[in-house]
Amino acid sequence: MRAKRTNFGVTLVRLAAGILAAWLLSMPAARAVEPNDPLEPVNRVIYGLNELVDVVLLGPVSEAYGELPSPVRTGVRNVLDNLRAPVTFVNDLLQGERERAGTTFARFFINSTLGLFGLFDVASELGHPQHEEDFGQTLAVWGLGEGPFLMLPLLGPSTLRDAAGLAVDQLAFDPFAYTASGDVGIARGVGEAVDTRHRLDAVVRDVRRNSLDPYATVRAAYLQRRGVEIRNGRSATGEPGYESIFRDDE
Amino acid sequence: MMGTREQTKGAVTRRALLGVGLLLAATSSGAARADGDTRAPAAKFVDDLGRKVVAVLRDPGLDRAARLRELTRLIDEATDLALVARLVLGRYWREASEAQRREYTALFRALVLKTMADRLDSYGGETYEITGVQRVDERDTVVSTRIQRPGGQPIAVDWRVRAEGGRLLLIDIVAEGVSMVVTQRSEVAEIAGRSGIDGLLQEMRRRLEGTA
Repeated sequence: MRAKRTNFGVTLVRLAAGILAAWLLSMPAARAVEPNDPLEPVNRVIYGLNELVDVVLLGPVSEAYGELPSPVRTGVRNVLDNLRAPVTFVNDLLQGERERAGTTFARFFINSTLGLFGLFDVASELGHPQHEEDFGQTLAVWGLGEGPFLMLPLLGPSTLRDAAGLAVDQLAFDPFAYTASGDVGIARGVGEAVDTRHRLDAVVRDVRRNSLDPYATVRAAYLQRRGVEIRNGRSATGEPGYESIFRDDE
Repeated sequence: MMGTREQTKGAVTRRALLGVGLLLAATSSGAARADGDTRAPAAKFVDDLGRKVVAVLRDPGLDRAARLRELTRLIDEATDLALVARLVLGRYWREASEAQRREYTALFRALVLKTMADRLDSYGGETYEITGVQRVDERDTVVSTRIQRPGGQPIAVDWRVRAEGGRLLLIDIVAEGVSMVVTQRSEVAEIAGRSGIDGLLQEMRRRLEGTA
């Protein structure tokens, strides 16, 4: 839930600036197989609190949200995706992906007009498929390591790089930022949280039931997903860290 | 949310044959086969497995127990669970005694099957197509599929297949970029790092006795 307003933003900037400085001085080496998680004890406490919020609030709300007709939920998702387009556009450009930037621009234009303020994803049907970029991914493309893993209150799994990226996206790149536009921003943050939680429902249940250590599962899944996003959809096949696992029997 | 899908098991179809046919045509026309290219056999292996799983899920003559028994047999046949268990244990495998390794491997297999049983009711109605095959090295090939769930977004699933002793066996499943081996390795390393291999075995036994 990306809810709180200005104070949250200012705190985030200070936090990000502080850690960024400390961490640029100690650039991490190439991706190791073991997760980089020096703050694990703190992260686990925050994970526990997030789980609590999920069980008493977010989970039940997202279950109720799931009762809405599917076209309504698709509309909500489309509007949220459309509001993300400017951030994706800026980061496409910063990554030197001009073609993808063009796609993002076309999508935003088409869906904001023909798609009735983003309610319908007309652009996908016209051959402009959706993708997302954020400043965390841009920093990764620029060669910055992910830094230590972080479990953020309410926002969930992240890394130092991705949290700093999120702060920059929110405060510099996003014209519809959660932190800047009052009630609309809050509504958007709540919508994002509920819709995302709803789509992940089966995964959340599965992790709770079948994982030997849910915190480790969430961390591993997040870091792997981010890897795929940074590689623009390419899997980890052939990546040294991943491949080394399969030579472990030699 | 999952409950509504339980009744849709009859509606399973398959579009993979065309893909496999194209792959076979593509690989046999080139000189790639001379050095033992495993791409076409690996794609066929995954497709055969997929077809059998789909058939079990669709068979109206099977009750839940029989369905589970059949799926267990298929997974046991197609997967090198002993190797997967070992890769998941990672560096702790080298530290483990022979007896610990034996017990761990047995517990690992039992937990995989328990998880599958737990997920069984959410399966059904899937269709899949093979979207690509990538050779990694002389042993391993990755077959990419796209699985369409009824009423859901398609899921990209990669199947890593290893050639060993003249046959092909599954050694990892990667769903939307999340590898089962990598993820379970992280879980197992956490527990083994905290409470040792005996602590890990104890936790696995506890899980197994839990809600099964």
